[in-house]
Amino acid sequence: MATSDKLIQVKNLKKYYNKGTLHALDDVTVDVNKGDVMVVIGPSGSGKSTLLRSLNLLEIPTDGEILFHNIDITKKKFVNKHGKVEKVDINLHRQKMGMVFQHFNLFPHKTILDNMILAPMKVLGVSKTEATEKAMALLKRVGLEDRAGAFPIQLSGGQKQRIAIVRALMMEPEVMLFDEPTSALDPEMVGEVLEVMKELALGGMTMVVVTHEMGFAREVGNRVLFMADGKLVEEGTPEEIFDHPKHPRLQDFLAKVL
Amino acid sequence: MLSIEGFQSAFKYIQLFKEGLVCTVSLSAFTVILGFVLALVLALMRMADLRPFRFLDNTQGGEGRTGFIGFLSRFRPLNLIASVYIEVFRATPLMVQLFIIYYVLLAGLDLPTFKLFGLIRFERFIPGVIALSLNSAAYLSEIIRSGIQSIDGGQTEAARSLGMTQTQNMRYIVLPQAIKNILPAIANEFVTIIKESAICWTIGVQEIMSAVNSVKAATFTIGEALIIAACIYFCLTFPTSKIIEYFERKMSRGDKR
Ligand SMILES: Nc1ncnc2c1ncn2[C@@H]1O[C@H](COP(=O)(O)OP(=O)(O)O)[C@@H](O)[C@H]1O
Ligand SMILES: [Mg+2]
Repeated sequence: MATSDKLIQVKNLKKYYNKGTLHALDDVTVDVNKGDVMVVIGPSGSGKSTLLRSLNLLEIPTDGEILFHNIDITKKKFVNKHGKVEKVDINLHRQKMGMVFQHFNLFPHKTILDNMILAPMKVLGVSKTEATEKAMALLKRVGLEDRAGAFPIQLSGGQKQRIAIVRALMMEPEVMLFDEPTSALDPEMVGEVLEVMKELALGGMTMVVVTHEMGFAREVGNRVLFMADGKLVEEGTPEEIFDHPKHPRLQDFLAKVL
Repeated sequence: MLSIEGFQSAFKYIQLFKEGLVCTVSLSAFTVILGFVLALVLALMRMADLRPFRFLDNTQGGEGRTGFIGFLSRFRPLNLIASVYIEVFRATPLMVQLFIIYYVLLAGLDLPTFKLFGLIRFERFIPGVIALSLNSAAYLSEIIRSGIQSIDGGQTEAARSLGMTQTQNMRYIVLPQAIKNILPAIANEFVTIIKESAICWTIGVQEIMSAVNSVKAATFTIGEALIIAACIYFCLTFPTSKIIEYFERKMSRGDKR
């Protein structure tokens, strides 16, 4: 695959806690290509969230590189294509990486519409009319256009998570990161959220998804990573991972969850 | 000790009490505004992550080093200054602070000597406001800090992941929620300031207690004037706390929608 298809390159990423005694990420190297739907699975505490959160620097890695469009965003400066040294603007990179959290993290003091238009207006300088128009179109896409004036507390979990997804989409990100987006939901609401994610994937969005929904991983994912103890233990297509697991840790894990 | 005649003669000076009331209210209002701004700065300083010697720790994230170098690399000067300020102002008497500011720090300054609202002597009023503000800022900043820290960190992560800067996050996400949560505590601090402002008569601010003193000098009795002063303070603070309680109940009801 050509370098231009590589959206994110993670190289020897390490994240240590507790003065270096806890290796949340232990030398992880992986690429995310444009259009990938990369599903990350693994037992609790294996470093899935840490890996995902490192991608947009919500966690600062202890060591290693994260190249986004070939710029190492873990460093303060980079050399641009004209040979000049420029500052790495992490806010700029974060705009291009949407993130969806397990607990939605909607802004409770703002209406659904205001949740969606705040960042486009303040960060991108989009006008209120334009942002509102776009928000209403997105709300329509997820069937929530009648809730624009509601506050987050008035919504069900599934509705909140759908809003969180479209709020991130308002920034027109190049990649969407999902950290267990359905784990905090009542079972009957999981489907509606996965449906939105599936549509997004079919639309060609690059996605990195941490999830325990093995059905989604198999059906929607084109690559699956299995992590354990901060290490990337096995990587492959859904068929390879689910039907022909090689590593005993993975076989063990699948026996427990499937 | 107390007598009807005593009250009658004290009431002759009711104008002094009225002026004292205006002065006390202005003193408290200016103090709460100035104190709040200063408290906000202190609270942000205490939470600031400015580490000038961070470069000494060459591990990314700057948490890896131990020992003296590690200590130096994690040194946060803004936090230290704010913490020392807060501890000093909370650990020393307000009266000592007031006297140091009036007799030492501002003694050399020639403050303008006009009368605010035509009755409050500016050159006495300002040191009073400054002392009360500096003092209440120490308490208010802890209230604000706890308010900010009570906002779920996930909100900040969501804001940052949308590309907002730390300042935008504070301004649009954290502070509006934090301030709503701490309004009752701030209002309570306002009540405390009204009561503590009485101390300013010691530097010649003409607030309610200074009216008491004038009546004492003119009539050679103090009991009745003190009762009147107590009533005025009560009429200021009691309704204020009741109003606060009312809004507190109303706001917490809104949250449980
Ligand atoms: N802020 C933190 N401080 C200390 N340890 C942490 C912190 N965040 C995560 N960890 C630890 O790092 C490891 C990986 O955590 P995480 O990435 O959340 O795992 P997962 O998402 O796979 O459940 C766990 O052992 C966890 O306890
Ligand atoms: Mg996790």
